[in-house]
Amino acid sequence: MDKQKTNGEDKLRIKKEQQIKVIGMHCATCVSTVTKAVTKVNGVEDAKVNLATGDARIFGSNLKLKEIVKSIRNSGYDVATQKLVGKININPEEVSKLKNYVESIDGVIEANISANGLIKVEYNPLALSLNDIITKIKEKGYNVNIIEKEIKVEELEKKEFYNMLYRLIAGIIFSALTIYLEFTGFSLFALLSSIPVFFYSGYNYHKGAIRAIRNRTGNMDVLVSLSSSIAFFYSIYATIVGIPTIIDVTVLLITFVLVGKTLEAYFRYKLSLSIKGNVNAKVRKIINNEEKIVDVSEVNVGDIIVLKNGDQIHVDGIIDEGVVEVNESVITGEPLPIKKGKGDALISGSTIVSGYAKLYVTRSGENAYISQVAKSIREAQAIKVPIQNFVDKVSSIFVPIILIVSLFSFLIWHFILGKSVFEALLFSIAVLASACPCALGLATPMAVVAMINKAVKKGIIIRNGEILGNLKNVDTIVFDLTGTLTEGKISIKSYKEFRKDALKYAASVESLSNHPIAKAISELSKEKVNVDEFEEFIGEGVYGRIKDDIIIIGKKEFIKQNCELKDKENEDGDIFICINNEISGIINIEDKVKDGVYNLLNKLKSQGIKVIIATGKDKVEGFNDIEIHNGLKPEDKVELIRELKNEKHYVAFVGDGINDSQALSEANIGIALNSGSDLAKVAGDVVLNDINSIPELFSISNKLESKIKQNLAWAFGYNSVLVPVSAGILYPLVYLPPQFAALAMSMSSVIVSMWSYV
Amino acid sequence: MIDPVCGMEVDNKSKFKTLYKGKVYYFCSENCLNLFKKDPEKYLREGPKGM
Repeated sequence: MDKQKTNGEDKLRIKKEQQIKVIGMHCATCVSTVTKAVTKVNGVEDAKVNLATGDARIFGSNLKLKEIVKSIRNSGYDVATQKLVGKININPEEVSKLKNYVESIDGVIEANISANGLIKVEYNPLALSLNDIITKIKEKGYNVNIIEKEIKVEELEKKEFYNMLYRLIAGIIFSALTIYLEFTGFSLFALLSSIPVFFYSGYNYHKGAIRAIRNRTGNMDVLVSLSSSIAFFYSIYATIVGIPTIIDVTVLLITFVLVGKTLEAYFRYKLSLSIKGNVNAKVRKIINNEEKIVDVSEVNVGDIIVLKNGDQIHVDGIIDEGVVEVNESVITGEPLPIKKGKGDALISGSTIVSGYAKLYVTRSGENAYISQVAKSIREAQAIKVPIQNFVDKVSSIFVPIILIVSLFSFLIWHFILGKSVFEALLFSIAVLASACPCALGLATPMAVVAMINKAVKKGIIIRNGEILGNLKNVDTIVFDLTGTLTEGKISIKSYKEFRKDALKYAASVESLSNHPIAKAISELSKEKVNVDEFEEFIGEGVYGRIKDDIIIIGKKEFIKQNCELKDKENEDGDIFICINNEISGIINIEDKVKDGVYNLLNKLKSQGIKVIIATGKDKVEGFNDIEIHNGLKPEDKVELIRELKNEKHYVAFVGDGINDSQALSEANIGIALNSGSDLAKVAGDVVLNDINSIPELFSISNKLESKIKQNLAWAFGYNSVLVPVSAGILYPLVYLPPQFAALAMSMSSVIVSMWSYV
Repeated sequence: MIDPVCGMEVDNKSKFKTLYKGKVYYFCSENCLNLFKKDPEKYLREGPKGM
């Protein structure tokens, strides 16, 4: 800062400075890596990184701390941050506004706020304190209650589900008891046994009704709460004066609607189920110059671990020694391994294909890349605001109509037709009881459950029932390429053989290597010969001796150094085979497109759906007439989906890798492939065995919609007959006392449940 | 087997190796390997230097 002041006061005014603490730097090259990572972020003009203290001072205008931290983390290092976890009272529609505000506070890196009011703010402790943030949020009218221990989303959902389940179980037991007592003439005991159902099982409805009335909307809660309350208080009165009660209306109504709600809570809980971590993974750690196998939880920043062939990487770090080929499909989606040496970053989630390296750990445990991805998926799921379901929309029209009909039947019977207050009240309660939306509440969840069960038999696992209703809104599908549209593994596209047995020899030599290209080549010939000598050169190729023949296989560059190309100088190809200093074969490789994919994409396009391919690969061939976004990092895929959503598209994303998991959870509908990574499957709303089942998924959604409509037609048909009858339109020819109106209504629930499974 | 850069004795299990003109060379360290890769002809012409 001092230096800047001497440069002139003007500069100081426009320039800003941020200081952060970088973790994991241990050498001079680290400083230049971090400096490079920081300065490439938009808005950064200069950065001074101190190796000894780990302090990084960043200068620039319009600094985006979130981008800077992300860039440092992508380069393999970490930034010391602190977290605020708390609960606030917020309406879902205010979430994104508050999030933007909090993220605009100087020193805040990232803010996440879920629809249920869980707020998490990651901030730079060198710039802000916890209290600063709380004060700033308070200025906007929100009170933050700090939660000491971080609550996990799946725990919240689990609590919610069990909460519902207990209420439902209580509802079933006490409803049965209440009805038995009521119809055997023990009105008082029936009333007592209905108390837990009305107050405990029905608690959420009464609470929801009060909130809805406050917000001047009518939802199902209002109808359920009002009908059950009127029937409950009427029954108290009826018991006192000794006339028949209608307490069954109260208990049946609450219990039936709870069945539907509990099912919904169950889906949400299952969807949030925790992602498997690396808890039991073992790593080779160097302790006192000795290699010891320890639990990954015992690895800390600054430790050195040893990585060998086939190892999965569980922590992030920088290579201190050695050369490896690493499969980084985690980050790039690219199935071909990449060669990495001293000073390069290795990211958790990737796998060592060959080689040996000592890794200086820069991030472990919760801060490792893979744990961060898992966490962001959980948060994204929590932020997804549930779409107000159809039933609630219908109810908002239906509820006021029923209330008006009920009121009018009282007014007409009492004031115009001269019935007593008591008799007129019976009609108006009968209307409420017969209109109670048990069947409405069951129509959707029941049909969804039935359809999910049918889908499983077709290899489609639907993890989030809600999406079935929303599939019809999809107008854009974004596909990942590698492993989703393609097989995700190397296969031989074509080959030329200039010498007898060249392929047989190549296959024999390559069968000794684990490299994916080598595996594909080794399958070229079933017949193998004995290889007397074998050497593998990481990232280059292999060398083998079969009796007196020397075989060298690799990329053109590698072969050029070791073999005379002669007349093959101008030949193109991915892999060259050299036998005894002569080019003997050329092989071209590809990642084959899955069967049926072209048809699938064309079919979707002909249905008017916008099809996009989003891939980490730099070059994509073979997909004509399709919008392709290449060279994308995982966060670019997320950004692409966000943009599409901002353009009012309803987006489905289809992917398989860990690198797709954030895009899967960002999309309106995430479709994961069963062959993919666990993390992707957890992030997806749907898991498919076969990419070609996508049309089947849409047809299931259509079938579901018609099923729901049929169910609703039953429910409404019933209502439109029952309501007028209950209001006494056919009186005295047909008279429906409230308890029979309620019983008739419950029958519609049974019909709906059965029809769903037909 | 001899490291063509420093002249040290190495065995054929060494992690540090390269292929040049169809022949495998082994090295004692990453450092020797990198030196050789930069200019293989020099070391093959002049022989090991010793360290």
